[in-house]
Amino acid sequence: MAEAASGRSKSTGRVPPLQAQDKLTFLLSLVPYLMDHDRVSVADAAAHFGMTKEQIREAVRLIGVSGIPGETAQYQHEDLFDISWDDLEENDQIVLTHRVAIDDSPRFSAREAAALIAGLQYLSSLPEHANRTAIATLTAKLSRGASATPSQLTVQSTRTDETLALIRDSVDAGVQLEFDYLNSRGERERRRVDPLRIESLDADWYLRAWCHLREAIRTFRLDRISNPVVTTEPITHGAADVKLPDSLFEGSADDLIVTIDVAAAAAPLLADYIPDGAVTVESEGRLRTSVRVSHYHGLKRLIASMPGVALVIGPPDARAAVREWAAAGAARYE
Amino acid sequence: MAVAAGSRVPVEERLFSLVLALLATEAGLTKAEILSTVQGYRQRYRASGDNANLERQFERDKDDIRELGVPLETLESPGEPGNNQNLRYRIPRGDYELPSDISFSPEETTLLNLAAMVWREGSISGESRRAILKLRSLGVVTDEPVIGYAPRLRVRDVAFEPLTAALDKHVIVRFGYLKPGEQDARTRTVAPIALIQREGRWILHGEDQDAGGTRNFLLRRIVSPISTTNTRYPAFPESATESAKAELDKIWESRAAIVEVIPGSDAATRLSKRADTGIDGDTLTLHYSDADLLADELAGFGPEVLVLGPESLRGAVRDRLLRTEADHG
Repeated sequence: MAEAASGRSKSTGRVPPLQAQDKLTFLLSLVPYLMDHDRVSVADAAAHFGMTKEQIREAVRLIGVSGIPGETAQYQHEDLFDISWDDLEENDQIVLTHRVAIDDSPRFSAREAAALIAGLQYLSSLPEHANRTAIATLTAKLSRGASATPSQLTVQSTRTDETLALIRDSVDAGVQLEFDYLNSRGERERRRVDPLRIESLDADWYLRAWCHLREAIRTFRLDRISNPVVTTEPITHGAADVKLPDSLFEGSADDLIVTIDVAAAAAPLLADYIPDGAVTVESEGRLRTSVRVSHYHGLKRLIASMPGVALVIGPPDARAAVREWAAAGAARYE
Repeated sequence: MAVAAGSRVPVEERLFSLVLALLATEAGLTKAEILSTVQGYRQRYRASGDNANLERQFERDKDDIRELGVPLETLESPGEPGNNQNLRYRIPRGDYELPSDISFSPEETTLLNLAAMVWREGSISGESRRAILKLRSLGVVTDEPVIGYAPRLRVRDVAFEPLTAALDKHVIVRFGYLKPGEQDARTRTVAPIALIQREGRWILHGEDQDAGGTRNFLLRRIVSPISTTNTRYPAFPESATESAKAELDKIWESRAAIVEVIPGSDAATRLSKRADTGIDGDTLTLHYSDADLLADELAGFGPEVLVLGPESLRGAVRDRLLRTEADHG
C-alpha cells in the first residue's frame, strides 16, 4: 500500500471502559497482588495495573465488602475480606487485613494464552528476539499456566532485513540516521532523521522519525529505505519532545477526497483511508464511500492492486490517473 | 421490592461473589444454594416461587466466568445421575490457581507486555488485556517500558472471530469459499486445526470433511458468514500446526516468478526487499504462496514491473491491468 498515503486509522481507540468480564479479571488479579503487599498506595497500584486511581479505589472498596456466604450463609464478618478503611479514605493507602477464598493468581484462559503466544511469535521478527529459546521458554510457561490447551493461533514471523536491526541500533543509541528514501511519488532523496519508533502493521514495517529535511514527523516504509547509515550525531528531537500520533496514517488539510466503489467484504482493507464521518452507501454487496489520499500516486497503486474489487468513481482526474497507470502497465505486455 | 434491590448489585460484584463462593466450597453448591445465598442472586431469589429468570442469569454467568479461564466444574450427585436440580458446582483450587512454580522475570514480563500490545482490534485485544492483568497480579516490576516499538497485527477478516471461537470449542464450521477464477462459492465443511498468519494474511488450516484431507483457506476468500455446527471433533495434536507451517514454507520455496523491474522505481526498491528475493540486475526472482495474491500485488506496480514467467502469472497480471483500465474508462 501507499506510503502514508494519508488516511486516518480507525483502530487506535483509547482503552475502552472496562466491561464486567474485565472488571472481574481485575478483581481476581488485584487480590493476590494486595496479599503480597502489606501496604501499597493507590497511586502505585494504579501505575502497576495501568488503571486510574479511581478504578483502583472502586475495586478495593468492592473487595472490602465481598466474601463468601459462609457457614451461616449470611456473609458474617469473618466471611468477608476486610481492609483498613481509614488508610484508604484518609491516606489513599491499601492494607488488606483479612482475606477469604483466594490464595493465588488465576490461570490464563486458553484464548488469553493463545493471544500472548501468537504475539510472541510475531515479535520474533524483531532483531533482539531472534533468539527463539527465550520465546519457546515463555510459550511453554504460558501453556502450562493456562486452564486448557491454548488454541492453535500462530504467526509465521516475517524475515526482516538488516535495515531493521540498523534502525533499532540508532533508536537505542539516540543517534541520527541517514538513508535514501523513495517516496510514493517516485522521488528519491537523501534523508537525515531522528529515529523515534519502529512500528509495524502485519508484514509491513515503518519508522517514525523527525525528518531534518521536512522539519516534521514523518513515517517511512522500511522497504523504501536504501543505503541506511547510522551517524554519530545525537538526535535533536527525542520521543519525549514530540507528540507521536497514535495512528500511522495521519490526515492533512491538503488531502484529496476520492469517491470509490468497493466490494463490501474488502472495505475493511481500506479502513485506514476512509475518513471519519464518510458517507457510505451499501448496495448489492458493494459500498460507495470516500477515501482521503495525499496525492494520486499512492491511490493509483492501491486501486491497481485491487482489480475489480475497488474502483474510483471520481473526481475525473483521479479516475484518469488510475486508468493511465493501468494502461501503461498493460502496454508492457503488447 | 426484592427485584429492585437486586438490580443494584453490579454485575462484577455478582460474578466476583460467585467465584469466591465456588472457590471456597469443597463439596460444591447446588443451584438452589447458589441462587438463595450468593450476593447478587440472593436479593432476587424467591423462596417459594419461580426463579426462571435468575436461573437463566446463572447460566449466562457460568459461561462468562468459564470464558475467563475459570474452571467452573459441574458434579453429578452420586445417587441421582441426570438429576439437574442436584448438580453441584465448584471451582477446584488446583485448576484455578496459576501453578506456584511458574514465575516470570522482569525481562519476560516486558516481552509479554509487548506481545499483548500487538493486538489492538477485536475480542483478542480484550483477551490480551486480561492476560496482562493476570500477569501483573504476580507483582513483577518491569524495567523501562519498551517505547522503541509499536508492533501491530490486524484482524480485519470478519471470519476471524467466529473461527477462533470454533477452534477453541473444537466444533466443525461451514462456510462459502470462493476460489479465484471460479464463478460461484462452494460450501466447505471444515474441522479447524489452526489459524495461521503469514505475510500479513490469515489462513485457516483445517480438515475438509468432504475432501477428506487437510486444506488451507484464506480468510479473505470466505464469502459467507461462518456457520458453527454442534459437531465436535477431537483435538488435533500440536504437531499438526507445525506440519501445516512447514508445508506453507515448502509451497513458498517451490513457487518462484521471474520479473523485470524499472531500475530505481518503487517496484525495484520494494520487491528486492521481499523475503528470499533473488536479484540479478533488473531481473528478480520472487517467491510466493498464492499466484493470485502475487498478481494483485504486481498489478499495483503498473508499468514498473514486467512479468517474464510463469506464463500463467504473466497473463494474470496483464488481465488485471486491462480490467482496471477498462473499469476506469
